[in-house]
Amino acid sequence: MGGSTTRWSRIASLGAAVALVVGACGGSAATSAPSASTATGASTAPSAAAASTAPSAAAATPGPKSGGTVYLLTQAQQFDQIDPQRAYTGEDMAFFQATIYRSLEAYVISPDNNAASKLTPDLATDLGTPSNDAKTWTFTLRDGVTFQDGSPITCADIKYGVSRTFATDVITGGPTYAIQYLDIPTNKDGSSQYPGPYKATAAQQALFDKAVTCSADNKTITFNLNQSRSDFNYTVTLGFSPVPKAADTGENYGVAKPPVASGPYEVQSYQTGNGGKMILVRNPNWNQASDPYRHPYPDQWEVDFGLDPQVMDQRMIQSTGNDQTALMYGGLQPQDLATVFTDPSTPQAQYAGRVVNGYDPYARYIWINVKKVPNQKIREAMAVALDRASYRKIAGGEFVGDLGDGVIKPNLGMDYAPTNMWTTMFGQAIPDGGDPNFAKQLISQSGVAAPTLTFNYADTPTYGKIAASVQSSLQAAGFTVNLAPIPPGNYYSTVFDPKKAGDFGIAGWGADWPNASTVIPPLFTMNGGFDLSQVDDSTFNAAVNAANAETDRATQAKDWQALNTQAMQNVWAIPTLFGKASLIMGSGLGTGTGPNGGLYIWGPYGSNPYGDVYVK
Amino acid sequence: MVGRSLREIIWARLRRDRVAMICLVILIAYYTIGILGPVVASLAGISPYTLHPDLISDMGGKPIAAYGGISPAHPLGVEWGTGRDIAAQLLFGLRISLVISTAATFLTVVLGVVIGIVAGYSRGLTDNLLGRLMDLILAFPFLLIVLSLSGVLTQRLTELGVPEGNASRILYLVLVMSFFGWPYLARIVRGQVLSLREREFVEASVAMGAGRRRILFTEILPNLWAPILVYATLTLPNYIGLEAALSFLGVGVLPPDVTFGSMLANSVTYFNVVPTYLFIPGTALVILVVSFNLLGDSLRDALDPKGVH
Amino acid sequence: MVAYTVRRLILMVALLFALTAAVFFLFTLLPGDPARLTCAKACSPAIIEANRHRLGYDQPVLVQYGQFLGGIFFGRTFSSDSPQPIVCNAPCLGYSYTRHQQVLTLILNAAPVTFWLAVGAFLVWISISIVLGIFAALNHGHWPDRLVMGISLVGYSMPSFFIGLILIFFVVLRWNWLPFPSYVSPFDNPLRFLQTMILPWIVLAFLNTAFYMRLTRNQVLETFHEDYVRTARAKGLPERTVVVKHALRAGLTPLVTAAGMDLAALLGGAVITESIFSLPGIGSLAVNSVLQSDLPLITGITLFSSTLIIFANLVVDLLYAFLDPRVTIA
Repeated sequence: MGGSTTRWSRIASLGAAVALVVGACGGSAATSAPSASTATGASTAPSAAAASTAPSAAAATPGPKSGGTVYLLTQAQQFDQIDPQRAYTGEDMAFFQATIYRSLEAYVISPDNNAASKLTPDLATDLGTPSNDAKTWTFTLRDGVTFQDGSPITCADIKYGVSRTFATDVITGGPTYAIQYLDIPTNKDGSSQYPGPYKATAAQQALFDKAVTCSADNKTITFNLNQSRSDFNYTVTLGFSPVPKAADTGENYGVAKPPVASGPYEVQSYQTGNGGKMILVRNPNWNQASDPYRHPYPDQWEVDFGLDPQVMDQRMIQSTGNDQTALMYGGLQPQDLATVFTDPSTPQAQYAGRVVNGYDPYARYIWINVKKVPNQKIREAMAVALDRASYRKIAGGEFVGDLGDGVIKPNLGMDYAPTNMWTTMFGQAIPDGGDPNFAKQLISQSGVAAPTLTFNYADTPTYGKIAASVQSSLQAAGFTVNLAPIPPGNYYSTVFDPKKAGDFGIAGWGADWPNASTVIPPLFTMNGGFDLSQVDDSTFNAAVNAANAETDRATQAKDWQALNTQAMQNVWAIPTLFGKASLIMGSGLGTGTGPNGGLYIWGPYGSNPYGDVYVK
Repeated sequence: MVGRSLREIIWARLRRDRVAMICLVILIAYYTIGILGPVVASLAGISPYTLHPDLISDMGGKPIAAYGGISPAHPLGVEWGTGRDIAAQLLFGLRISLVISTAATFLTVVLGVVIGIVAGYSRGLTDNLLGRLMDLILAFPFLLIVLSLSGVLTQRLTELGVPEGNASRILYLVLVMSFFGWPYLARIVRGQVLSLREREFVEASVAMGAGRRRILFTEILPNLWAPILVYATLTLPNYIGLEAALSFLGVGVLPPDVTFGSMLANSVTYFNVVPTYLFIPGTALVILVVSFNLLGDSLRDALDPKGVH
Repeated sequence: MVAYTVRRLILMVALLFALTAAVFFLFTLLPGDPARLTCAKACSPAIIEANRHRLGYDQPVLVQYGQFLGGIFFGRTFSSDSPQPIVCNAPCLGYSYTRHQQVLTLILNAAPVTFWLAVGAFLVWISISIVLGIFAALNHGHWPDRLVMGISLVGYSMPSFFIGLILIFFVVLRWNWLPFPSYVSPFDNPLRFLQTMILPWIVLAFLNTAFYMRLTRNQVLETFHEDYVRTARAKGLPERTVVVKHALRAGLTPLVTAAGMDLAALLGGAVITESIFSLPGIGSLAVNSVLQSDLPLITGITLFSSTLIIFANLVVDLLYAFLDPRVTIA
């Protein structure tokens, strides 16, 4: 089975989202079945699932037409990053790739998660050619692709864009796969010997020029990797976009002046803060012939920043005036769900086609710091005692997610398999509401007294209530739990500081592309970047390396399944929810491929289908 | 006519003020309920900590029964998502709100009076320095500072041995409110002292060789109680409102404990769907604050020597 | 008078200096690692260190403070490794790496909103207060006096966000009398501007009217007892002339001084009101900067707001000394 790919949201922005959206778990769900393909409703989409033959998808449907302005309402003060090398929030990337940026490869536009998880060529002519045991990847650019000023997009522009990622002190916060995968020597501390284009010496630049080469006609780009990556063509959807060197202003690229567009729209104006707007108009130098993938229906996009989430909900629900053609960045608040849904899979009649509930990108879990809670039985007791049913109810019920059983979410497709964590893993079935008596037994088997634990969470009202429920369910088993809320904007920067982190706390993670290689290694290996559990297990590390190197995808999937189960057996984390979101669009919008032209969640980014909406 | 003490005169004036008496009764009731809250709750069989998932729907966490889950067992409804009893929260929340505001007022008065007397009596350099310190404190954007420092200072308090959780949060609120509140009272007291120290009885004490401390605290302080009492009565309701405002901005007690402020802050998310969440604690709070303010007003009138009544 | 002014000016500068120091050192206590906020996944210690260096957080606090002060007077340059370093001219309040903008620019962008909010609310509450205050004074001791005083007290007793939410609930959500608040400049769309601002003005006016009404009432009552007013009355001047020309004018001084301070405080950002009505002013900028842990921005706004207050303090003091010769200036 296929699966939708998901992204993780940049940690800082996730924190910020937690801060403002009341209850970051806020969202909703279309189906309680843990099957990705049903999550966004039955697909009536024409089978663009024929994956790599991109062009067909949207054009086949008669409904869509060009024109009009689509408004995008958002609570954010501004986009985290517009710089193509730094954008790393799923929703942002989905929006940008549909409007202003092109990349070598893109995901198919389709409401069907299986279909949408497949790649389709964008700037490249095909899905790339691996050679040398997938250690070398070659992509050839289409003819006639240009930037907004009409100058051609060349291999050199992509190469320059990729090189910016290496300037980790200027280009911050973006995906860093280029640094991890490209065959460039590293320093003793693990950092790359190439410091990025801004301050590289000739010798250092030569290192990069050796790893990324352009053909004589400047149309073919070759990446030399330091490891076999059979999924490298997925990697190039993250931060491998072209940037013309002449326009690069480093730190504030895309902020001080609009970024240089390669997609069907260009930035006409951008003003941040409450009341700020970004206006996108058609890019006169974009042409359909060089871009069969996109179908830019609206004439204009207007992003409205700094709106109150509740006001946005009301405006979207009422859908009058300009709001008729509005989309909302992020999901509906829990308190407004009953207004528009009968149940998670059924909108109320008048909202049919306008609202949808389905998987968001995140698997939510509670990390346990194994350095502070080293006793396996104690961790088991914590997992067993946790009242997951209350957790979900407080977060918003069925709409916000299915109860999770691991950190790999079903929408990752073949990499997901049930871990049986709550059925047989600990010798007996654990009810959703927790089993304090069994937890007490486990504590007595642990050989130590039930410890006093400190629980970290972002200080928002909803998380506060969840924390109180976590506290009371663990205390029923004999633990003492102290609550240690953290200001939302600081959450991840605090819990990553070993001196400031508590014993366990709330987190969420989404994969970068449909392969659990972007889930298990980050979460449970020391250099993965998101190892909140502080796990550093040499056997596990070895198994992770083996799985990463595995070239047979089916075998690799089995490896990830086993590692996911193993992580749960060790209770490095307690899975809570496979998150869901409830999206809404204005009554004056339709989608090219959605069921009856209705709204759907675009699987690859768990986002609005930006590339598929049109004004009716 | 037998001369009556000032205290008796004032009490007599207050007794005649019907509004003041009603307010006093209301306030006594509030404090009684605040003190006995837990007892009342357990008699009524409600607890602010018990989750009632059975009363909550899966539609985003909305209470199943109408008007926020109002039922005979939960006369004021239950909380969104958790099903905790609102009436019980109100009882327990009142208690914490009163503790915070009363303690903060007390500390403010102590700081304000002591520093005001010292400034007023010493004059010269000390007075000047204290005056500038007050200017500095009053120039800070209070809310912004309180907001941004809450996390780190609460943590510091914990490191200093205050129990983690709400003890340190409540103490933080009390401390910051008093820290930014005392200068107002200190200015009033200083002014009073400045005029008092010129009066004969103080001069007499000085002439008799009384110690400085003795003059300050036995001669001057007793003459200040009237303005202090009025000020305290009017400050306390301010602090109740301030605590609510701070909760609204995210600085408050941790769940499952609540205050009036945190209940109101909580209601913001849901009040369009369940208005009772806003109006129940809001009304309770406004009655409390209005009573305090009206009483303070009457007290001021009663203490006014120019009183026309 | 000149000597007094000079002394107050020197004092103001000293106070500002103390304030920058206090703000700066207080905020270095804040939790979280600002450098950790700058990189996402694969945030290796080396990258964090590099960013710490780039942002200047590896320097001792005193040095950082020196750089900050230097920026205010001489300007400074951020991200000197970038192909186009960010030049921040004096007075430079810092650079927000979270928003990729200069702190001063952000504040100046937000300032007009707060300005309109504060000035509009000020006009509303001052006019209401003076009219009702005089009305109460003229009816001193009778039921209109009590009614006005009572209502003002209830208004004053409601937390501002409670009033704000009630207004939104009824006026916007239930009765649909006004559209959802969404700020526009009065020059772009005056009607929409008024529709958005009217509720915030009412909320702020509610808060302040009680105090100013009382002040007006009491001042007027007091001046009624002054000799020159009695004389005026005795001369048989019409009551209106007595009230407006004599009683009110004399009573205005304390009103003006109090208003000056309150207006300054408001101009520094009405945190709660702006938050409730999603107004993009300095107050909501401040709240957002706290939520995002945007240290340079928090520091900048704190300084901006307190400078306003200190400055207003000075103006009010001078004005007071100028208006009221009874104040000793020695």
